[in-house]
Formats: sequence, structure tokens, C-alpha cells
Amino acid sequence: MSQDKAKTPFDVYEVFSQRSSTSPFIHQFSLLAPNHEVAMSMARENFLRRDNCVNLWVVKRDDVYVLPPEERESLERLDNKAYRETKGYGDLQSKWRAHRERYEAQHGPVKKEV
Amino acid sequence: MTALIETVEQAKGNPEFLNALTALLFQMADDDFILAYRGSEWLGLAPHIEEDVAFSSMSQDTMGHAVLFYELLEDLGVGRADDLAQLRDPQDFRNALLVERPNGTGHYVENPRYDWAYAVVRWYFYGLFKQARLEALSNSSFKPLVLVSQKMMKEQRYHVMHWQVWIAQLANSNEEARTRITNAVDRVWEDLGSLFAYGSHGAEFVKQGLIESEDALKQRFEEKAKKAFAMCNFDWKGLPQAPAQTGRDGQHTQDLIDAVNTLSEVYRLDPSAAW
Repeated sequence: MSQDKAKTPFDVYEVFSQRSSTSPFIHQFSLLAPNHEVAMSMARENFLRRDNCVNLWVVKRDDVYVLPPEERESLERLDNKAYRETKGYGDLQSKWRAHRERYEAQHGPVKKEV
Repeated sequence: MTALIETVEQAKGNPEFLNALTALLFQMADDDFILAYRGSEWLGLAPHIEEDVAFSSMSQDTMGHAVLFYELLEDLGVGRADDLAQLRDPQDFRNALLVERPNGTGHYVENPRYDWAYAVVRWYFYGLFKQARLEALSNSSFKPLVLVSQKMMKEQRYHVMHWQVWIAQLANSNEEARTRITNAVDRVWEDLGSLFAYGSHGAEFVKQGLIESEDALKQRFEEKAKKAFAMCNFDWKGLPQAPAQTGRDGQHTQDLIDAVNTLSEVYRLDPSAAW
């Protein structure tokens, strides 16, 4: 680092933040910085002035392996995999409710489970 | 020690206590206010855009801290917060000399030639001093002041972290950066003693239990500053003596007069206007 007289280049860093301790990390935006420390230092004031934030990631964009456009087709599938879908279970809640009401009509209210 | 004064009403009922408390609050409010003003002059001039946004944000935070103190003064019946900030004459300000120094040569509108190394070093060491002062207030005899300082501690921690990244990166970078930082430290050190000075009310501050002694405050600061020097690979310079003029009793420079005139210009046009 010290032998190079050229200026340190700035890299693009992607900023992710977590709104609360139970939320997922969400991508915010990107910024330019010479290293991770500076990126972390800038992230808070540049993107999180108004939102709640309990945690931060900064990732150099070069370290994010992006699926190239020509390979995105590989994400498509054949449409013969209904067994993986969950629409067969869509009316489960109403079935349970119907059973419960019929039971309670006979036996009185069921104690709510914690 | 002094009994804990829990409310502003109790404070108002004790003239000696109130006088000392008022003097201390003005010092703290004016320190943050004037430094935040100097920060605002850097708007659009910082080295890169992310830093410009972050720096402006921190100047706003610091101005917000000043507001907390001015509002305490308002609750104590000293005057309206806005009036205290913008209608006093420069010689009535109680900020330390360090915070009124200009950012560099030139004017922020025409030909600014501000010194970034000086900005970093001044904000960093002021930040460490402020942390030390907030800690020195943690056992204050005035309960509202304890609560206000605890609130500020969180934001202050972030500010110090920010400047710490800058000073460490620059001091450990190339020759030019290191030299500029070294020169900035020398310049800040000339005025540093003005921060710790309690001025003519100092004995009362301690007698009323408002804050720790000047020596205790200096010791807190010294611990933090020594670590900072080590992180930058500098030899410890020791704490300087207080300069003859500290600002704590109203002895200021033309720079402060200019600053107060600029920042109060709009307010003075119509103090009764609603904003």
C-alpha cells in the first residue's frame, strides 16, 4: 500500500440494514468508499436518517456475485411441479375453524393455547 | 455533597444554585451551537458527497444538543431558547475559543479555502472532550441535566466513531496526510485548554455539585486522548495549559463576532415571526 504513490481508488459498497431485530436485512443503496471502515461510517447518515436501524452490513459490490443476464433464463422451471406448490393447503384455516366451531357447539369453549 | 435537585422549580428557588447552573448551561449550549455553526459552513465543501451528507447530519445533531441546553435554560426562566441563541451579543457568549476559530481562510460563499485536516482534528478532539464532560455530568446535582446528558451520549458515541475513522485513516496514510494532520493537531492544541476552563464560576460549579472538577474532567479527557494518539501512531503531547483568553467569561475574537452576526441575521429581522 505504501509503495504505490497513486491515489487509493474508491469502490462501490452496497449497504444493507435491518429495521428491527426480527426483520430481514434489506438492501438500501450503494455508496463509494475507499474501504469497509469508511463505508460503514458513511452508511448510517447517508441512508438511514429517517428509518429505524438496528444493524448494518456493507459489502463491496465486487464481492457480490451477480447472475449475468444471459444466465437468468436458468432460473425458469418446467410447470409440472404442482406438488411443490402450497395452493392445496389454502383452505386449511377455514377447515380448522369449521371443526372447532362444531366441537365448541357440543362441548363448550376450548381453552386457548398459549 | 449537595442534595439532588430534581426539578426546575426547586432550582429556581435557590438563587446561588440557579446562577451556577445557568453559567454552566450557557457554556455547554454555546460550545455546541458555535461548533455546529462552523460545521454548517462546510456544506457543499466536504471532500466527497457521502461525507458532506454525514457531516451535515452531525452538525444538525450537534445543533440539536445545543437546543436541548437552551431549552433547559428556557425552563429555568432565563429567556426564550431562540432569543438566547440569536439575540445575545457576542461578548455574552460563553463558548470556548476552540469552537469559534474559522474553518480556514476565505469565505464559504466566495473562495473558501477550508482545511479538512483541521475540521477532522477539531471535531474529533472536541467530541472526545464532550464525551468526557457528559461523563463528568453523570452525577450532577441537577437531575434534568443528568437525563439530558445521558440522552446525548448515544449520538455522541456515533459522532466520535465517525471522526475516529477519518483521523486514523489520514494519520496512517501517506506523508502529505500525516503532515496535515500533525499541523492540525498542533493548532488545535493551542486552543485546547479553553475547553476545560470553567471560567470565573468554576468554583461554584463544583461547590454546587453540578459537575466534576476541572482536574477530574481533564483526567477523563486525557485517557481518551492518549488512546487516540496511540491509534494514530503519534507520541503523546500532554495536555496544554489554558490560554490567557478562554472565552468562558466573554473574551472572544472577531471571528465569533462575524459568526454571531451571520447566524442571527435572519432572526433579528423579525424576532416575533413564527417559523
